[in-house]
This record gives sequence, structure tokens and C-alpha cells, in this order.
Amino acid sequence: MRNAWRHRLTVLPAVVTFLFFFALPLCFFLVISFWHLKHYKLVPNLSMDNYRRVFEQYFDAGVFTFGMALLIAAITTLLAFFIAYYIRFRSRRFGAVLLFVVLATLFGGYLVKIYAWKTILGTQGILNSMLGSLGLTQEPITWLLYSPTAVVVTLVHFLVPFAMLPMYGSLRGVDDVPLAAARDLGASGRRVLVDIVLPQCQPGLFAAFALSFLISAGDYVTPRLVGGPHTFMVGNFIESQFVNRLNAPIGSALSFTILAACLATLFAFKRTVAHLLKAR
Amino acid sequence: MFSDRSSNLTWHLFAVLAMVFMLSPLVLVVFFSFGENPHSTLPVGKLTLGWYEKLFADPNFWRALRNSAVVTLSVGVLSTVIGTLAALGIARWRATNAGAALTVLTLPVMMPPLVLSLALATMFSTFGVRLGLHTVIPSHLVFTQPFVILIVYAQMANFNYAIIDSARDLGASPLRIFFSIILPIISPTLVGAALIAMAVSLDDFIITFFTIGSGMTLPTLVWGMLRTSLDPSINALGTLILAATISSSMLALKITQYRG
Repeated sequence: MRNAWRHRLTVLPAVVTFLFFFALPLCFFLVISFWHLKHYKLVPNLSMDNYRRVFEQYFDAGVFTFGMALLIAAITTLLAFFIAYYIRFRSRRFGAVLLFVVLATLFGGYLVKIYAWKTILGTQGILNSMLGSLGLTQEPITWLLYSPTAVVVTLVHFLVPFAMLPMYGSLRGVDDVPLAAARDLGASGRRVLVDIVLPQCQPGLFAAFALSFLISAGDYVTPRLVGGPHTFMVGNFIESQFVNRLNAPIGSALSFTILAACLATLFAFKRTVAHLLKAR
Repeated sequence: MFSDRSSNLTWHLFAVLAMVFMLSPLVLVVFFSFGENPHSTLPVGKLTLGWYEKLFADPNFWRALRNSAVVTLSVGVLSTVIGTLAALGIARWRATNAGAALTVLTLPVMMPPLVLSLALATMFSTFGVRLGLHTVIPSHLVFTQPFVILIVYAQMANFNYAIIDSARDLGASPLRIFFSIILPIISPTLVGAALIAMAVSLDDFIITFFTIGSGMTLPTLVWGMLRTSLDPSINALGTLILAATISSSMLALKITQYRG
């Protein structure tokens, strides 16, 4: 009994940190979305006005952000899956190197990576000067930088290591024996993949997709730096409501609307994947 | 046989391309930081350390470095202590409860940083908390402690608890058990977990930006350089940040053997 108490007590500092610097601020932030501003001061209220304004003013931006986040999450998850698959099943030696490289770049250089893509994708950038000197293009491609393409490339590059972590974790758990048995019984490579490998790495697939979807739907730095004047994602509006207009209630309503929509999408994604991969 | 070999070739080609995609942006930043060409375009020009000299002559760099060092070290120590205590406790829980606790405590990593940082900034301003490094540190702690908890928990899941039981039977106190049995066994893992927490904290820009007030850290200094003019010493600063975060994660991966 004393032991059981001790095992709960040691978790307490982590729980306190979680409550005071995550749960509490987010609850308060949610409450604020029902308040309004008067003379730059927050006034407690219980109105849905902010949410109505969000739907009226930011609906298009929301749809665009969603499309971008879905595209980025899909590409990231696919790429991470293939890299993890290669490391797990195709190559021992180069795979280990690749895994190490991907994981080593995981925790560093968020802004530096964005900046690096800026120097690669610009009209004077590396990619254009390489294509030009190879004679593949006559004039520099201008839509590489300051465009939605640049946002997709930059965020995929940033998110692949994060997606790799759960993906490789679940692929590593796949047992070799049933795979060999299925192959001996004449199953094609595709059948083995769809019926044995994919169902077992569902948690990894979901975690990779969820993480990259949530992070890209909420990012504002990447679209600001490489997205150009027309690529506004919801994060940019949330940030500008907050920083330029000091309107926390609208910013908060916008944040929670997009979060709720994201969670609904992820739930649907989970159901769809589970349905598609159900044993036949 | 032939088809098998050609499909293997395709796979290896894919792997090489993936490697190039992941590494080339980082390699370029390092490359440009030593070149004379100030526009970060090819050709890079003569080899030079000029951008580093320019960076080291900037008093803002030293201010940012000092702040980053304070935050990173504090976050590293605090999240390692708090996260390890939590992981040791959770490891003794029933599997379903432990899974639920891990999921909840890991939520801050999944939350878009913008939303979390605005929630924190709003809370601090409403309760009249002055912003500074003391608000940045706990704000980092909440999303670095999950990494420590997950890594230490993974190790404790294969821990042989029989040694603890026999130590207790021989009359060792809980503190004695912790310091002379558990700690020596898990200390490599702790060093690795601390390094990862520090890399995450050192690299954070969004949460820092909204909770630091008027001060600056290395990432907010990069942000300033990115926004104002294209200052070529940004390559030098970027190289230093990459060197710090990548070497600490590489060291951590080596020490802990943690792979997801």
C-alpha cells in the first residue's frame, strides 16, 4: 500500500507542470473565446459572436489550411513509411545510417531549415542555378519559392523525422516469421504489405499522420517566411489577431475552431484506415 | 531473380534520394557559412571565417547565447528530474493506466505550438506575471518532460525488479535503493534523455517568442535576422545551432540506443 502511494507521488511534479502550464492555460484560453474586448480590455461574457465571426471571415482560409495540412500530412506519412520500410526490410547497413541521420536532425534547426529552403528554392537559388546550368530550364522557375509549393516542401522536410519515430517503432515490432510464411504460401509482395504489414503498423501510421497534420495546420512561421503574399494559413490570422490587433478572443475562437476540426478529421482518418485495413 | 534485383535497385535509389532530401538543406547552410558570397548563392566564393567574426562581434549574439544557455540548462536539469520521477512511478502502474497517463502527459508535444504559446501568453498577462526567462523555462518544461518520460519509461519497462525486491529484503531504504541500484543502471539513459530535452528546448522558437517578453534567445535572434535584412552571418549562426542540437541528439541516440 505504501508502495502504491509512492508510485503515485513521484508522478506529482510532472502532473503539476502539466496542469499549470498546459491544462490550465488552455482551459482559460478556451473560456476567453466566449468573451469580448472593450477598450482593449477583456470583458467576461458568454457569447458565440467570436465563433460566428470566425465562420464568416475565415472560412476560406480554414479550407485552404485544411487542404494544405492534409496534403503535407499525406506526403509526410507516405515518405516516412517508405523510409521506415526500407530501413526495416530492405537494408541493414545503409538503413542504419539513414535512420541515424533522420533521427539526428529531428530536434534541431526549425528556423534554420526554413531559411535553408529559402536559399534552395529562390530564383537565384541552388535548385534554379543547377537546373539552368544543366540546360534543363531556360529561365528560373519562379513558383518554387513564395508559393504553397515552398510551404509543402519545407514542412514535409521538417516533419519527416517526427513521423519516422512512431512509424519505425511500429514497423520494428512486425514479426518476420508470418511474413516468410505468407511468402512461402505464395502471397504476392502487395498482399503481404496490405494484409500483414500495414494492419500491424496502424498505430504508427496514425501517430505519424496526426502529428504532421496538427503541426502543419497550426504552423504560421513557414507560410510567413516561404509562402509569399498569397499563402495565408489560419496560423497567420491567429497570430495577427493576437500580435497586431491584440484581439485574444477572436484568436482563441479561431484556434479552437481549427483544433476541433483537426480532431474531427483525425477521428475520421482513424476510422477510415481501420476500415480499409480490416482483415478480409 | 532479375526483377528482385531491379526492385532492390529502386529501393536503394529511393533511400539515397531520401538522404539527399533530408541532408542537403543543412549541408548548404554549413557550406555557405564558410563562403565569401554574401547572397547564399552559387558559387560560394573563397573560404572565409568572416561571417563568424561578424557574428561574434555582435553584442546581441552574446546576450542571446547567455539566455539560451540559462534556459537550456535549466530545462535540461528540471525535465530530467521531473520526467524521471514520473517515469519511475508510472512504470510500476498497471499497463492500461500507465498507457493512459503517458498519452495525457504527451499531449503538449501534439499541440500546435502557436496555440499553446498564445494560451500561455494570455494566462501570464491576465494574472499579471511579468515575462522573462522565468516564464520561458516552465513553458518549455511542459513539452520537454514528455520526451524524458517516454525514454526513461521505455527503459524501465524491461527493468529487472527482482534486484530491487532483494535489496529491500536485505533492508535497504527506498532512497538507498534509488541511489545505489536504479540510478547507476539508468544513468546513461538519463544523460541521453537530458540531451534530447535540451536540444528540443534550445531549438524552440514559437513558445519562446511569446513567453520571453523583450529578451532574446538564439532562435529569436535568427528570426530577427530572417525578418529584417538578409544578414549573411545567419549562416554562421545557423551552423552553430545545428552543431549544438545535432551533436547533442546524436550523442543521445548513441548513449540510449533509443529508436522510437
